[in-house]
Amino acid sequence: MAAAIETKDLTKTYRTKAAGNVNVVDNLSLHVEEGEIFGFLGPNGAGKTTTIKMLLGIISPTSGEGTVLGEELGDMNVHHKISYVPERPYYYEYMTGFEILKFYGSLFGITDTDRMNALLERVNLHRDKSKTISQYSKGMQQRIGLAQSLLNDPKLLFLDEPTGGLDPIAHREIRDLILGFRDEGRTVFISSHELSEVELICDRVAIINYGKIARQGKLTELLKGGRVEITVEGYSEQALKDMNIPDAKILPAGGDLLLDAPEESDINAVIDAVRGSGARIVSVVPRKKRLEDLFVETVSAPKAG
Amino acid sequence: MFRPIFAIANATVGEAIRRKVLLIILFIATLFLIIAPNLGMLSARSETVVLKSMMLGIIQIASAVIAIVLTVYMLPNEVERRTIYTILSKPVMRWQFLAGKYLGAVLALGLMMSLMAVVMSAMFLVIKQNPSEAIKLLQAVAMYFVQMSLLASVAMCISTFVAPLVNFFLSGGLFLVGTVLNPVFDTMQKSGSGASWGKGLAQLLSVILPNFATYNIQNPLINPQQQIQSEASYYINAFGYGVMYIAIMLITGMLIFEKKEV
Amino acid sequence: MAKASSKQALRTKFLAGLAVLGLGQAVLQTSVLQPFWSKNYSPAKAGKTGSLVDRSLSPDQMLFALAGFRELIAGILWVRADSFFDSGNYDAILPIIRLVTFLDPKQVDVFSTGIWHIAYNFTDEEQRSDRRYIPPAIALAKQGCEGNPETYEVFFETGWLWYHKIDDEYDQAVKYMEEAYKRPDIQPARKNLRSVVLQRAGRVEDGMENYYTLLEDAQKVFDKNPDVFQSRQNRDAIVGNLDTMIVRMVQRGFMAGKEGRPLNAYDVFPPFDTGFSVKVSVLQPRVVRFEGTWNVLPVGSRIRCVIKDADWDVFSKYPAQMNWEFSDDVNLEPPRDKTFMQEQLFVRNRRFDKTVDMSRDPTMYPFRSKRYLVEFYYNPRSAPPHIQDKFSWNGEGLADKNFTNTEIRPGTRVFYTYLELDKDQLLRKGEWQEKTPVTKTKNYVEVERTYIKGDQILQIPSLRSGG
Repeated sequence: MAAAIETKDLTKTYRTKAAGNVNVVDNLSLHVEEGEIFGFLGPNGAGKTTTIKMLLGIISPTSGEGTVLGEELGDMNVHHKISYVPERPYYYEYMTGFEILKFYGSLFGITDTDRMNALLERVNLHRDKSKTISQYSKGMQQRIGLAQSLLNDPKLLFLDEPTGGLDPIAHREIRDLILGFRDEGRTVFISSHELSEVELICDRVAIINYGKIARQGKLTELLKGGRVEITVEGYSEQALKDMNIPDAKILPAGGDLLLDAPEESDINAVIDAVRGSGARIVSVVPRKKRLEDLFVETVSAPKAG
Repeated sequence: MFRPIFAIANATVGEAIRRKVLLIILFIATLFLIIAPNLGMLSARSETVVLKSMMLGIIQIASAVIAIVLTVYMLPNEVERRTIYTILSKPVMRWQFLAGKYLGAVLALGLMMSLMAVVMSAMFLVIKQNPSEAIKLLQAVAMYFVQMSLLASVAMCISTFVAPLVNFFLSGGLFLVGTVLNPVFDTMQKSGSGASWGKGLAQLLSVILPNFATYNIQNPLINPQQQIQSEASYYINAFGYGVMYIAIMLITGMLIFEKKEV
Repeated sequence: MAKASSKQALRTKFLAGLAVLGLGQAVLQTSVLQPFWSKNYSPAKAGKTGSLVDRSLSPDQMLFALAGFRELIAGILWVRADSFFDSGNYDAILPIIRLVTFLDPKQVDVFSTGIWHIAYNFTDEEQRSDRRYIPPAIALAKQGCEGNPETYEVFFETGWLWYHKIDDEYDQAVKYMEEAYKRPDIQPARKNLRSVVLQRAGRVEDGMENYYTLLEDAQKVFDKNPDVFQSRQNRDAIVGNLDTMIVRMVQRGFMAGKEGRPLNAYDVFPPFDTGFSVKVSVLQPRVVRFEGTWNVLPVGSRIRCVIKDADWDVFSKYPAQMNWEFSDDVNLEPPRDKTFMQEQLFVRNRRFDKTVDMSRDPTMYPFRSKRYLVEFYYNPRSAPPHIQDKFSWNGEGLADKNFTNTEIRPGTRVFYTYLELDKDQLLRKGEWQEKTPVTKTKNYVEVERTYIKGDQILQIPSLRSGG
């Protein structure tokens, strides 16, 4: 599959009074496949929005290069084929939902009102299309944002914190819409720090910290390596020492013992060993590795260099 | 090439005419225009003269404040509310964005000034029943419109690199300076006093800075005793000057805005 | 790469465009707009009247002016000035006058009132005007004329100032009255003054001609509206003026001379001697007594007396007056270190005796210079008609053995002489503390009585028609 986004050593340096030159984005090399939902993760201030602005061509990189849908960064042509919904977007409040679509459509020269109505229906705003944006809830504003982003039938969508500050129902509506985009063959680039959402819908993710890519890859691969928790009753200290389970953490849990072992270790052998020591196994619970764990693990690592 | 400009201009007008602070200024100005005839009593001067001077004064001040307030926040607000990103991620060049914003500002300004002009004419006609004088007053307002468009372009240009509050005072200051340029220049030329470097400086400034005084043509309207020869061609030249200077301001603004990190 | 270079090319194009536009606007601005604006729209139209930047306008006042409402604010200020007139706070009015004329150079009545106020209202304790204020009044008058060429008013006021207050250099009065006369809005009654100033300037026939023209016009107006009192009154006034003038001219042999008829005895009465003599004594510091003789009619004869700095050219080069137009700045602060006192010595029974007390007004009479001229001056053109009957317009009949002068007022024979005093004398300092300084003309004779035997007494003939 062709790459929707490809960057090599993308760097953005800002000069600040306090800290001198700061690389907000530091030698960033991204690879986003066409047709996938790509999660771009990182704590606040990691450089996510700056990266997106560079990809959109709104600002130019200090160094490095990249392509979006095969076009060089900053090429105006690509703007016909992409869309962007910023974090908590603000649209002209006095406009109605329909007028918003008309306005953004006019930037492309799109005047097809049937299409606009269809888009409104798709984001479930067709009944509210005559209300002004100031009357819209946050979720509705997010949905009208998605509707406007579909006006030009984009191949690639950039969504910045698409579910930020929304209630659970709105979350779900947005999620479904995004999944629908993938089904239509669009590439979706989501920048977010709401990991549960990303985990649910993304195919691949990149975690960025201090402007650098810390992890990048398929979600399934990144989340390999869960752990197993074994709760044990009536154990003896000596027996446990004898067991010598590699990588096991022993956590005192009340009078019980909690064994935390890597997924790939020989659980059966552990169980046998526990039993052999005369202790009783209360439960064996496999814990899948979660994105949150990965994220915290990555982000809490000290800044390199 | 112009489609996005017009679309942005249109949206800008829609937003501008709903901005509360502008509407309040407009409301106060209109109110003053309506009570202006009664204020004339405070003054020892002939009633018509005071009425005309005051009405034009009200419109000029209100328009200047509107022009500045309207434009200084235009770009910063777009950035703050992130609308600029949704627009710039569409096939819209930055210069088109700026041009659209400016066009919108000028159109909104035109609308507001038209409203004031209508109120002024109506009041003047009610009190003085003199249509030809009313039309002359409208001429002055038309010149003010060019003046304010120029002011808006200055504020727009400055807003590409300066914060709104600073811009407010900068543009306001430039407006004042640009308004006294001609009188200062005049005085220096005629009085013969003042150092030659002072004259040179005045000359230099009047060449470089936007000369807002060009559009202050109200004096002979307020005191209509003199006949002015070839006034129409002056109007055309003044308009041409405005267009040129506005172009300078906008192109400069575009060049700066193009490089700006938003 | 191609993209970057095309962007660069666009930038270059933009910059080139900027350069062209910058040049274009500069040319348009300096060569077309600025001059036209100055000519037609400037509040300082064709003068310094409304110039906003001037020594005497502070920044806040300037802001006011810039902020619009100029005429309104000017009007309000003028109302304020009125209360100062009532309370006699004349100094406070000066800056208001200046400010109002800046703000609203078209407010004509401020000019007329201001000119009069500056020139007339500053006086000493004995009601002598501070004539150091006349130059700024004239300067203000000039600005008012330049700024308001469409109305007669300021021209008229300026002419009046020359005619009545300065009462000398009548050509100036004529100049401004002619301008006023040209303006269509001049009131008919005020046109008469043109004749008066023409006569004073020695242009008798022009003055008479003016009356004839006015009469013709007034008659037309009267024929149209015979029932309007104003038109009758106006016509009758002109008839009266013309009548008086013709009678005077006939008496002075003017008509006879014009018609080539011989002049009778009255007309050729030989010159006589006015026998001027004066003694000036400084009684106390700044108190000066003038005693002397002047052999003219017992009534209506006044000799101008001036005490002024001898060394300031604005004064000294202008006998019996000063250069009233020495500056075009309306400088409301008169030269405080200069002294200029003008008084009329009233003649009764051929003698005058006047004590001028300047001691109560040391700011008006500072006496800072070393030397002072004490001038005596009589111009037949300012004389009342019955004396002019003898001296005539140009002083043909004016004779004084010692002091007639045909140079200081070209074309007119006037009476002029001066004495000198120094600062110590006037202030009674140094050697003059105890000794009374006295200076006098050589011909001064100390007498006890007012009548001097042997003086030739001017004979005023009875009224009879000449030729």
